[in-house]
Amino acid sequence: MTDPVVSLSDVHMGFGDVTILDDCSVSIESGELVALVGPNGSGKTTFLELLAGIRRPNAGTVSRSAPPSRRLADDIESRRDVAYLPQSPSFRPGFTAAETLQFYASLAGTSIDPETALGRVGLASAADRRVGALSGGMTRLLGIAQALVGNPPLVVLDEPTSGLDPEMADHIFATVRDVVDEDRAVVVASHDLAGVERVADRVIVLADGAIELDGSPADLRAETGVETLRDVFAALATSSDHDRVVPPAEAAATDGAPSTGTAESEVSRR
Amino acid sequence: MSRRSRTAAVIERELRTLVRTRSLLAVAAAFALVVIAVAGGAVGAPGGYVSLTLDLLTVIEVLVPVLAFGVIYRSIRGDAERSELDVIRTYPVSRAEYVVGVYLGRTFGVLVVVAASLAIAGALASFTSPSAASFLATHSAGDSPIVFVRFAALAMLYALAVSAVITAASAAARTTREALAVGVALVVAVAVGVDLAIVGLLSGDVVGSGLDVLLGVSPASAFRGLVVELAVAPALAATPPIPAASPTASLLGLAGWTAVSLGIAVLAVWR
Repeated sequence: MTDPVVSLSDVHMGFGDVTILDDCSVSIESGELVALVGPNGSGKTTFLELLAGIRRPNAGTVSRSAPPSRRLADDIESRRDVAYLPQSPSFRPGFTAAETLQFYASLAGTSIDPETALGRVGLASAADRRVGALSGGMTRLLGIAQALVGNPPLVVLDEPTSGLDPEMADHIFATVRDVVDEDRAVVVASHDLAGVERVADRVIVLADGAIELDGSPADLRAETGVETLRDVFAALATSSDHDRVVPPAEAAATDGAPSTGTAESEVSRR
Repeated sequence: MSRRSRTAAVIERELRTLVRTRSLLAVAAAFALVVIAVAGGAVGAPGGYVSLTLDLLTVIEVLVPVLAFGVIYRSIRGDAERSELDVIRTYPVSRAEYVVGVYLGRTFGVLVVVAASLAIAGALASFTSPSAASFLATHSAGDSPIVFVRFAALAMLYALAVSAVITAASAAARTTREALAVGVALVVAVAVGVDLAIVGLLSGDVVGSGLDVLLGVSPASAFRGLVVELAVAPALAATPPIPAASPTASLLGLAGWTAVSLGIAVLAVWR
């Protein structure tokens, strides 16, 4: 068990009378790829913005901490705790991909070789291309390359595959997996449940601003007695009572049928 | 990584943006053309530098806010619109470093355009000025290039203040439409609005005396007062018995607009 890279404790977030997140608590460790899934309007983006420090909660605490090795390695003043890629990333027009990365490296107080940095996400050939001439997928990849500038221990990505063709989406998920394997924590919101199921270590299911389920894809499937993450999501989406999901397996058990859920699963229910 | 280096990175980004954005170059060219055209129209007229200064005074008063608006209003708002501001916030750069960087980078562009335009206008005047002394400058020592150099320097001060006001609008607006509306409103307010308010106060006898100090409250009046007091008046044979404006109040007024506007921008850019 390592120290968490980021922790949310009893977080409540709302705008006026509208509650966006309620009583959310979660800890994320280094080396975890955590997928955040949930219907539109469930609070995913706000959740990510809290993790990234872009918003502050109305109640509760968000604490981020860099692992000691990174704290020692980097100048404390230029240390970057978290990286963020918004849902529809876009960069200052008129600049090349390489210039864009160099600007962010300047802000982070570090120097980079843009071609190497872009090569890590498979974008080396586009180093001299203006950002306005990049496709949607390439812009996301540039965003991921930007997110790695300054070696942050936590990377937060908001729907990095939305609107992309399956091949590019696969490439982005593979790139994200590589980022996690460099001993980083990555939290990614996504509606691409097949992709999430393939690469995520852990899935947090949000519904109506509350964490409904939290566990590995396999555990979620086992817990809810369905075959795919998509079925888990469908059970949530069609549930009229989001305070507690009644998965098919549990419903069947209530009716006297044998449950396919496992007693050993490590799914957290809220 | 020092504060200065981070601010320098933002300044460099803004300068590159200015040089690479055709619409901004077009705005700058239009400003320069108007200033040079007005100066060209005055060629051969009596008065030399004093006359040129007075000819350009209103032009600069009105067009510098328009130029600053064109160059600056989309700077911070554009970053916010692209969600790039959210990305920048995850870097170890403070609100003040970012805002000051944007302000200095964009304002440098404004200053270069104003300085270059006035330099060309001054050069036109120096090459074509008639040898005879004018009625405005009644002795040759009065009508010297120093008059115009002072005018240009004061135009820079005015540009600094106006640019800060537009930077604040760009930072505080939540949508591009809002930035546009607020920016236009501020340009009008800076150029004429505050002056009209002062006239209103005077005509309503709300303010009886101290007009020379009160004029420092309006950026345009402060600029105009400084030009009259520090550039034009020393060149005149007879000094007016009543000062047009208080130079101290006018300088403080411009400094105040600059500082307060930048403060608002820093507070509003992100919370």
